[in-house]
Amino acid sequence: MPIGRITLVVTLTLCAPAWAQWLNYPTDGIPRLPDGKPNLNAPAPRTADGKPDLSGLWEPVGPSSSSFVGNSERDPQFQDIAKEIKGGLPLQPWAADLLKARLAANSKDDPDSRCQPLGPIKMHLHPYPRRIIQTPGLLVILFERDTAYRQIFTDGRALPLDPQPSFNGYSTGKWERDTLVVETIGFKDGTWLDVRGTPLTDAARVTERFRRPSFGKLEIAITVDDPKAYTKPWTIQVNQSFAADTDLLEFVCLENERDRAHLTEK
Amino acid sequence: MTSWKIAAAWWAAAPLFAQWINYPSPGIPRLPDGRPNLSAPAPRTADGHPSLAGIWQLEPAPCAPDAIAACGGDYRGGREFGNIGVRLPGGLPYQPWAADLVKKRTADLGKDDPVAWCKPAGALRLWTYPPYRKILQMPDVMVILSERDVTYRQIFTDGRLLPKAPSPSWNGYSVGKWQGNDFVVETVGLREGTWLDRNGSPITEGAKMTEKVRRTNFGNLEIDVTIDDPKAYTKPWTVRLHQLLVPDTELLDYYCNDNEKDSAHAIGK
Repeated sequence: MPIGRITLVVTLTLCAPAWAQWLNYPTDGIPRLPDGKPNLNAPAPRTADGKPDLSGLWEPVGPSSSSFVGNSERDPQFQDIAKEIKGGLPLQPWAADLLKARLAANSKDDPDSRCQPLGPIKMHLHPYPRRIIQTPGLLVILFERDTAYRQIFTDGRALPLDPQPSFNGYSTGKWERDTLVVETIGFKDGTWLDVRGTPLTDAARVTERFRRPSFGKLEIAITVDDPKAYTKPWTIQVNQSFAADTDLLEFVCLENERDRAHLTEK
Repeated sequence: MTSWKIAAAWWAAAPLFAQWINYPSPGIPRLPDGRPNLSAPAPRTADGHPSLAGIWQLEPAPCAPDAIAACGGDYRGGREFGNIGVRLPGGLPYQPWAADLVKKRTADLGKDDPVAWCKPAGALRLWTYPPYRKILQMPDVMVILSERDVTYRQIFTDGRLLPKAPSPSWNGYSVGKWQGNDFVVETVGLREGTWLDRNGSPITEGAKMTEKVRRTNFGNLEIDVTIDDPKAYTKPWTVRLHQLLVPDTELLDYYCNDNEKDSAHAIGK
């Protein structure tokens, strides 16, 4: 159906100007090549205090076998967080059984499909873009998915001794040279780390190491230390690329939501 | 005796989350006894503009000192949450169809209020909702983080123009600029079906919202909101929303859709 495809592409192109004012606004103050394209290989910017500036709009990049959903690149780890872990995750027996049961039920209880918050790890892998805002003392991540945010305190405060369990947990970060090291505790029990249903418990401590090796690249190494669900800590790598000349749209999961009623186990 | 016991249990329980919410806000002016000095001058950013940054709440409705718990405890709403035009002589200048709609929504006890169904509150109601909001002021963007549903609103301050054909959304599309010490925000692209208050005051897609935000001193923010929506109102109207700084605390994660069991009971009457 080559003609049909061409017609479809033409139609999409014609539709674009309707929202072009929002999405095609050139990002101010980014390095550009002589032809005007963003220079994503330029050095990472720095804030007034000399630290790397992680601010910007970011999208996940799949490691090797990326697929696209619409215009969103999908990291296969979003589906299966153990994708790049040789030998799989060191699951405790009950956690392995739980994952098996969730898979057998077609992952129909995925909090994502019920418009529940995803927690920080799955949010790093979500295909929709996110914007990092780095201020002195606070780093905020604004997510397009459900127009939600997460705060990471960098003002030197200590982690709470007895945090209120929450989807995002409680995060503090500090710089180790050019790496922002973020520690998070206080997760609500029952978080899913991927679409399959890999579990996280309220005993988890998560360490994220954020690096911006160039203007266009963000690397996040995530270590999960959750002795209730895993026999030892494990680490994955999430890569994101800078999305220039665009912005976050308002995505509200519960808006006109008609999917949930159709979720079945088989 | 029972209520005394509940109060005692409440206070005893407080330290469980005290590490989260009792963290002293760094860098705020304080009195000799350590309390925040909310009458100090408004702070300024490096570029000389007033800084609106901080955690804010809508001035709560008056409440007798011995009735704070009944008024909502630390979750007290302001009068404009119920009726955005509560201080306007004669109330809001509704078009006849809008007046009928508000009457019907009020008679239905607000059961179709989007926020009762965990939908977004919309840009204006982010200011009047009882949970706190935090303003972050960057050179190119002002961000409002709302405790209610852990959601945010962006106001672009990088000099861009308003879009000609915005995609309708709950927050609309907002650009802001400084006029002296006033931060002036223009918003278009607001989505039809948004309620401006608990009464159900409507807004239509042709609406334009203007907010003039002024930090009169360290502890006080005044927001003059003008709604120009000729489809729903006979003339533009302006209300002042008074926000108070909330020091030494932090936003909690409040997700409306978490363990939500209320909507099934919203039946009107």
